[in-house]
Formats: sequence, structure tokens, C-alpha cells
Amino acid sequence: MASTEHALKDAMSSIEGAIGVALVDYNSGMALGTIGGGAELDLNVAAAGNTDVVRAKVRAIEMLNLKEAIEDILITLSTQYHLIRPLTSRSGKGLFLYLAIDKQRSNLAMARHQLKRIEAELEV
Amino acid sequence: MKRALRQFTAKRTPALPEPEVLSELRGLRATVPHLTGGLVATTDGLVVAHDTNGLEPEGLAALTAAALGVGSRLIEASGQGGFRELLTRGEHGYTATYAAGGYVVLTLFAGPDANVGRLHFEARRAGGRIAAIADAALERQDRS
Repeated sequence: MASTEHALKDAMSSIEGAIGVALVDYNSGMALGTIGGGAELDLNVAAAGNTDVVRAKVRAIEMLNLKEAIEDILITLSTQYHLIRPLTSRSGKGLFLYLAIDKQRSNLAMARHQLKRIEAELEV
Repeated sequence: MKRALRQFTAKRTPALPEPEVLSELRGLRATVPHLTGGLVATTDGLVVAHDTNGLEPEGLAALTAAALGVGSRLIEASGQGGFRELLTRGEHGYTATYAAGGYVVLTLFAGPDANVGRLHFEARRAGGRIAAIADAALERQDRS
């Protein structure tokens, strides 16, 4: 089981092309932890903005009467991928991992696989 | 009585253009989900503009000033510099007060499902714009 700090560091170092990663509480839109990002990507703003994305998708699933959970959400930009992965553990209820990666330097399948592993190991 | 109060304070703080400030408040209402209202007041508790959805703005502005006084003393006493913002969470929602320049504050009210990260982001930007409006008003007054 990994701590938040450890999981975020793990994501930055083990995922090729990682630009930034955050653990976000989508009840408040606030980030519990962030690493990377820097000047070109404000992760606290990304946390707030993507909270609206997750809430909208959760609502859409409810409206469709689907008894399903979101495994992950992929957003493809011109030069980046953004991956959102809600936590499935009981302690992680209402949280999601947010990862931004560089399209050129990354392998999407590997990034998803790594993020899934990191999410499974994370204990909040 | 209210008019007399305003004239009295107008000598100390410049009159802010209410329509411009009000349009900032309306803009926030439109962009931030679950925002139920807001007001802009001077640090001494006088309403500049309000969009409070039936709540009584004068009382809220006075309470904002009182909370601001305690908040800024607390933050200074603990060595964290000047006041920037104050967030209070209740059972049924939030109130948040943001500094908008040296003598104006923005207070917002939001429901329990509000996205606080988004609220902070939009309110800080609006606070910056309101500060610019206030600075321009101050300059105009100094020139005249």
C-alpha cells in the first residue's frame, strides 16, 4: 500500500512522458496532492476544472440508469493526453487521479496500465 | 439614514462604479455552479454592489467586515502576512471572502455541492478585476 505522496512520485517517475499528476477530491474540487505541472499546467486549476468533467460524467451515467462505475476517462489534446482515474478503494471514495502526459514521449497503453496499478496500490 | 452613511464614507473611500462591479458578480453567478449570491463591500463594511438573492446585503457586508478583521489579525499574528481569503463551511454551504485590492472585499455564498477549487479560481480572478476597478476609481478621485 502506497501513500499519496509515494503514489504521485511513482506516477511521475514510472510513466513515460508524464507532465503532471494530481490526486483530487471531486466533492470540493481541491487537490490533495500534486507533482509536476509547472508554469504551463497549473494542477490546482486542472483539479477544479476536471472535477466538473467527472461530476458531469457521473451524472450522465445516472441519467442513463447504468449501474456502472467509471474506470477511467481519456481526453486527447493535440499534444497531450489527460487521464482521469477515479479511486475504487473505500478510503478513496470521491477522489480521482489526474495525469497529464506528453503525446510524443508517451505510450498510452502503458500509461493506463501504470496508472491502474498505482491506483490499486494507493491507500489514502 | 443609509444615504447619510454613504455620504459620510465617500469622503474616506472613493465611490466605486456599481454597474461594473455588479456585472462581475453576475458573471460569477453565471460561471460558477452552485453559487447562490455574492456582494462586494469596502473593508469597513459598506456595500458597493450586491446580488444576494433576497438576503439582506447591509448586514452581510457588516459581518464580512467583522470576519475580515478577525481573519486578518489571525493571519498576521501567525506570521502569514496580509489577508487574502477566508472560507467558512456550514452544514448547508459555504461563504468565502476574498481580498480585492487594499480596501475592497468580495464575499460569495455557495451551496454544499460547490466546486471549491473552481470557486477559488474564478473568485481570485474576479477579485483582481474588481481591485483594478477600485484602483481606477481611487486614481480618478485623486486627480479631481
